[in-house]
Amino acid sequence: MSAAVETTAAVAAASRQTTMREKLARAIPWVGWTILVVLLAIPVLGGSRYLVYLGTLIALQAALAVSLNIVMGYAGQFAMSHAAFYGFGAYASAILVASFGVNFWVAIPLAMLIAGVLAAIIGYPALRYTGGVHLALITFAFGELARLVAANWHSVTGGPMGMRVMASPPQLFGMDFSSAKGLYWLAAVMLMLCLLITVLIQRSRFGRGLVAVREDETLAAFLGVNVVGYKVAAYVISSMLAAMVGCAYAPVMNFISPELLSAHETISLIGVLILGGIGTVAGPIIGTVIFFGIPEMLRVARLYRLVVLGIIIVLVVLFMPKGVAGVIGERVARWKRGAA
Amino acid sequence: MDLIQTLLDGLMVGGLYATVAIGVTLVFGIMGILNFAHGQMVMLGAYTAFFVVSAGLGFWPALVIGMVAMGALGLLLERLVFRHTLTDHMTGLTASLGVIMVIENLAAAAFTPDPRNFEPPLPGSFQIAGLTLSSQRMLVLALVILLVVGCYLFLQKTRIGKAVRAMGQNRTGAALVGIQINQVTAVVFVLGSAMAGAAGVLYGSLFAITPYMAAAPLMKGFILTVLGGLGSVPGAVLAGFLLGLAESLGSRYLSASFRDGYGFILLIIALLYFPRGLFGQSAKVRV
Repeated sequence: MSAAVETTAAVAAASRQTTMREKLARAIPWVGWTILVVLLAIPVLGGSRYLVYLGTLIALQAALAVSLNIVMGYAGQFAMSHAAFYGFGAYASAILVASFGVNFWVAIPLAMLIAGVLAAIIGYPALRYTGGVHLALITFAFGELARLVAANWHSVTGGPMGMRVMASPPQLFGMDFSSAKGLYWLAAVMLMLCLLITVLIQRSRFGRGLVAVREDETLAAFLGVNVVGYKVAAYVISSMLAAMVGCAYAPVMNFISPELLSAHETISLIGVLILGGIGTVAGPIIGTVIFFGIPEMLRVARLYRLVVLGIIIVLVVLFMPKGVAGVIGERVARWKRGAA
Repeated sequence: MDLIQTLLDGLMVGGLYATVAIGVTLVFGIMGILNFAHGQMVMLGAYTAFFVVSAGLGFWPALVIGMVAMGALGLLLERLVFRHTLTDHMTGLTASLGVIMVIENLAAAAFTPDPRNFEPPLPGSFQIAGLTLSSQRMLVLALVILLVVGCYLFLQKTRIGKAVRAMGQNRTGAALVGIQINQVTAVVFVLGSAMAGAAGVLYGSLFAITPYMAAAPLMKGFILTVLGGLGSVPGAVLAGFLLGLAESLGSRYLSASFRDGYGFILLIIALLYFPRGLFGQSAKVRV
């Protein structure tokens, strides 16, 4: 094959261009961060009310996808209860604020704490076994049970009709969070927080352990990774972040209903992850922008926009199995080697 | 009397679940394709029956047409999409998510979201030994048993059924002894989709038909597939009847609004204490 010729050429090219190309390749993540910051700034700088609202929703969805990526992308565990913890956070913070008079900013860590304990209780027995199907089904059943409880516990949750949330977050550090822009900032900060935690995990010993577990559990255990402990930890962290994002959902929408906990929400989040590139930092965000941004752009064909989106998803899955971020990553790696 | 009535109701509902579960068992348990669009086949099968019955052709042609049409759609989907996602659960799941969006939204646009009904072939009810039984429900139960037994015999006795089971055990081994993997995969997909179509026709003869009816039977189908032991047809059927009984006893004697919850509680307990399912053979590796 011509691979040998190419390699020789590449070596020759590399000797000249290594430093230049490597520098450029190393800069690409920073380009990504810059684009993200610019995107996040658009609604605040020149936004109509609608754009701010849309930005808030997309930021919340992106934060949710980023947090699900920790347990699904890095640890490789099929957790279907993500929407349940998201909805749990929304209900818990709303109930804590409305019925117990807890400050909104105290309610967030409280809701996260309860969600973490719940996730540990569910996750430990479910994650003892290898093979994603058991975890997927147990967490799915747990999520649906949570939805049914929310729909049937009328005195606390308002039943299937949902509940109105009147309270808005009080000031914090002199910043006003009750306006539409304040809520947007809240959503953006949560997104950045989830991203920060993902990057920290990815760079830590814990993150490398998770990837080892994802690739081969037996080998990881042999190498001294506490497999069950790592998997449960990833599930707990991911679920706590989902609950945190849920806390912001309630004041944004002013209304929560049991449908928020439905497994369909989790399934579309999984779709977002695979679309964008699972197990990458940028993937969940790219996926969210495609999944929720494209339908907004296709407003002309309002009736068929979800059909078009469905076709796009099938095509991406068939032709780019690693997702958009995965393809970009591969291209960059090949270009860095000088073969592109 | 009340108890027997409830048990019969449970068997009937359980039979419908079992029919969906067989399709999922074939496609997911044996082929390893995680096709969530299976529920959409149930929905389209029900609509096919609605239109055929409305056109005045009657219930029996509707059942046949529903099964054939869904089998054909299954073949199309297998050729276009799912043959490329074999054994890769994640991509299969996402691809089916896209397929679901396409089918569901087209169906909602074409059929309108209004619930539909069609006239069942055996309206009314009859009485035996002091029990009042709905004729249509008994007919559905009989048909379900027929379908289940037929499917089981097909897998056990025919040459192609044996090929399917061989593939379920070991794909490479099956290919080595000369089984045409591509063709068998297509056969299984068609068969599973036809079962979904049949389940849809039977669903439609009892309950309201809407473009969004697919989710509940699909989820139950997946649960039953795992509960029965991945890839085991008798296991899925038994789990289907058990789930139907648990739901109907629970909603009769405990609380009706929590109906779907009993199945999930059953599932969690079963997965924690019998992680191999009812008839599962492959032991899970514990690390």
